[in-house]
Amino acid sequence: MIDTIVVRLDRLVAGIIAAVRWLALPLIVLLFLQWPLRDIVRGYSREANDLGQIFFALFVAASITAATRAGTHLAADTLAHRYSPRTRAVLGKIGVVIGLLPWAAIVLATSAAPVWNSLKGIEAFPDTNNPGYFLIKFALWLMAGTVLLQGIADLLRGPGEP
Amino acid sequence: MPWLGLALLTGVGAGILFTGLPAFLVLIAAAVAGMAVGVAADAFPAALIGALPGRLIGLFESDLLQALPLYVTMGLLLNRLPVADALYRASNAVMPRKPQAPMVSGMMLGALLGPMNGSVGASVLGLSRVVAPKLAAEGVPQARREALVAVASTLGVLVPPSLVLILLSDAMLSAHTMAVTETGRSDRVVNTGDIFHAALIPAAIFLVLCLALAWWSGRDVAGQPARTNLTRGEGVLAAVSLAALLTLLGGVAAGYFYAVEAAAMGAFALLAAGLTSGRLHGKALGDLLHEAIAITGALFALLVAATTFTLVLRLLGTDRLVTDLVRGIPGGDIGATAAVLAVIALCAFVLDAFEIIFVVLPILLPPLLIKVADARWVAVLVLLTLQLSFLLPPFGYALMMVRGALKPASPFKAFVRALMPFLAAQWLLLALVLAFPRLVHVLDRDKDLSRAPAAAMSNEEISKRLNDMIQLPPLDLPK
Repeated sequence: MIDTIVVRLDRLVAGIIAAVRWLALPLIVLLFLQWPLRDIVRGYSREANDLGQIFFALFVAASITAATRAGTHLAADTLAHRYSPRTRAVLGKIGVVIGLLPWAAIVLATSAAPVWNSLKGIEAFPDTNNPGYFLIKFALWLMAGTVLLQGIADLLRGPGEP
Repeated sequence: MPWLGLALLTGVGAGILFTGLPAFLVLIAAAVAGMAVGVAADAFPAALIGALPGRLIGLFESDLLQALPLYVTMGLLLNRLPVADALYRASNAVMPRKPQAPMVSGMMLGALLGPMNGSVGASVLGLSRVVAPKLAAEGVPQARREALVAVASTLGVLVPPSLVLILLSDAMLSAHTMAVTETGRSDRVVNTGDIFHAALIPAAIFLVLCLALAWWSGRDVAGQPARTNLTRGEGVLAAVSLAALLTLLGGVAAGYFYAVEAAAMGAFALLAAGLTSGRLHGKALGDLLHEAIAITGALFALLVAATTFTLVLRLLGTDRLVTDLVRGIPGGDIGATAAVLAVIALCAFVLDAFEIIFVVLPILLPPLLIKVADARWVAVLVLLTLQLSFLLPPFGYALMMVRGALKPASPFKAFVRALMPFLAAQWLLLALVLAFPRLVHVLDRDKDLSRAPAAAMSNEEISKRLNDMIQLPPLDLPK
C-alpha cells in the first residue's frame, strides 16, 4: 500500500517537472525578444515581459523539487562524507520532518486565501492589466505543493530505496 | 529575542557543516524553529508569519532573477557545444609557441566564458573538461592545473555581467534604497549598470595579474607535445564566438541592453546553434532542460530559504541588533567596511557565495550603507570578498569542486602552494580597493557619486531612522 503511494507520488511529481522544464524554451525566446521589441518594434515588450514572468514563476516553482530529486542542492560534504549512508538517510528524513514539511504547510496555509481569491478573480497584472497574474500566485502553490508531495514520498520510502 | 536570531545564524553554519544536508534545508529548518520559538515565547504574533507568501511571490515577480535559468542554460549549452574548445585552441594558436601559452589560454578562457557560464560550478566543470586534459598533455603538473582551473573559474564573478554580480546588484539595490531613504542623501540608488562599471577596473587589474601569474607559473613546464593546427571551421567558430561574447559584454557595459537581455541573447544564440547543428535533438534537449531546471532549483531554493529565514530574523528583531553592532564599529568608513568584510570572509568558511548574498548581505549591508556613503565602493569590495571566498582554503567552493572534478587530486599542500600567488594577488587587489576607493569610480559617467550626508547624523538619529524603517509592512492577511 505504502509502496503504491510512493510510486504514484513519485510519478506525479516527476510528470510535473518533466512538463514544466520545457517552459525554459519560451522563457529564453521571450526575454531574447525584449530588446528588439522595446527598441526596434517599440511595442509588445510589456506583453512579452508579463508572459515571460509567468513562465519564469512556474519554472522556478517546480525547480526546487527538481533539484531535490536530482541531488543538485548546494551542500557541504567536508565532514558528512565520512557518515554512513544510513546516517545520511536518517539526517535527510529528520530534515524533511522538521524543515520541509512544516514550511510547505505554513506556506500553503498562509497563502490559501490570497491565492484562491486571485484564481477565482482571474487576476490581471496590476501595472499592465494583461491577463495571467493569477498564474504567478498559483506558482506559490505549485512550489509548496511539489515540495510537500516530494517530502511525503521521501519519508515513506524504505531505507535502501533511491 | 534578537539574540535568538544570531544563535539561529550560528546554528545554520554548524548545521550545514556537520549534517551535510543541503544548505536550503538547514535554513528552512532553522526558520521554522525560529517561528515556533518566537511565537511560543510571544516575541511576535503568529499572524505576522502571513507576510511570507507576499515575500515569496516577490521572488517570482523579480525581473532580475529571470537571469537565473538563462545563465544556467547558457552554462549547460557551452558545455555541450564545441565553443570552449575552439576558443582555447584558437588562443593557443595565436600565442607564441612557448610552454606558458596553454596556462595563459586557460586563464583567458575562464575570463571569456565565466560571465556567461552562470556559476563558478559550471565554469569549473567546463574548464575541467576543456582545459585540464590539454594542460596535462602539455606536461603541466596536477597541482598547477587544479590551481589554474580554480582561479579561472572564479574570474566570471568579477567580470560583468556575471550571475554573482547580478545577484549582488539586487542585494545592493535593496540595501542602498533603505540607506538613501533613511539618511536623506541626494544620491541616485545604485543599479546593476553602476556596479558593472565600478567593477570593471578592479576586474581588469585582477585579470592582468592572473595572466601574468599564469605566464610565470608555466615558465618551467617541459615536454610539450607537437600541437595540431587549428582547422578553418574551428577558427571561424572561435572568431564568431569571440565577437558575440565581446558584443554582449560591451553592450551591457555601454548600457545598450540589460544584463538579463544579454543573457537571453547568449542563451538564444547558443540554443539556435545547438538546434541547427543537430547537437540538440529531442532527447538531448530534454536532458539539457532537465539539468537546467535542477540546477536552477538549487539556486532558487537558497533564495526561497533565505527569504523565509531573513523574515524570521526581522520578526525576532535581529536586524536591529546587527545595526547597533555595525554602528558601534570604530575606525570610520574603512574600519566599518573592513569589519563587515571580515565577517563575510568568516561566513565564507561555511557558506557558499550565493548563500552569503541571500542570507548574510541583506542583514549586514543596510546598516553598513547607512554608515558608509559610497555604495559602489562597498559593492566592489563585497564582490572581491565573495570571489576570495570561492578560493579560500580549505573549504572554498571552487577548490572543492576542482579537486572533485580533476581526480586523482594532488596533495593538498602542493595545491595550496600553486594557488598561493593567485591568492596573494587577490588580497593585494582587495587591499588596494579598500585603500583607494577612487579605483571603482574611474568609469563613472555621471557626477552623482554617493556622498556623505549634508549634516552628520548622530548615532541616536541613525538608530531611530533605521528602527522606523525596519518596521514590518502592513500585512495582507487572509480575510
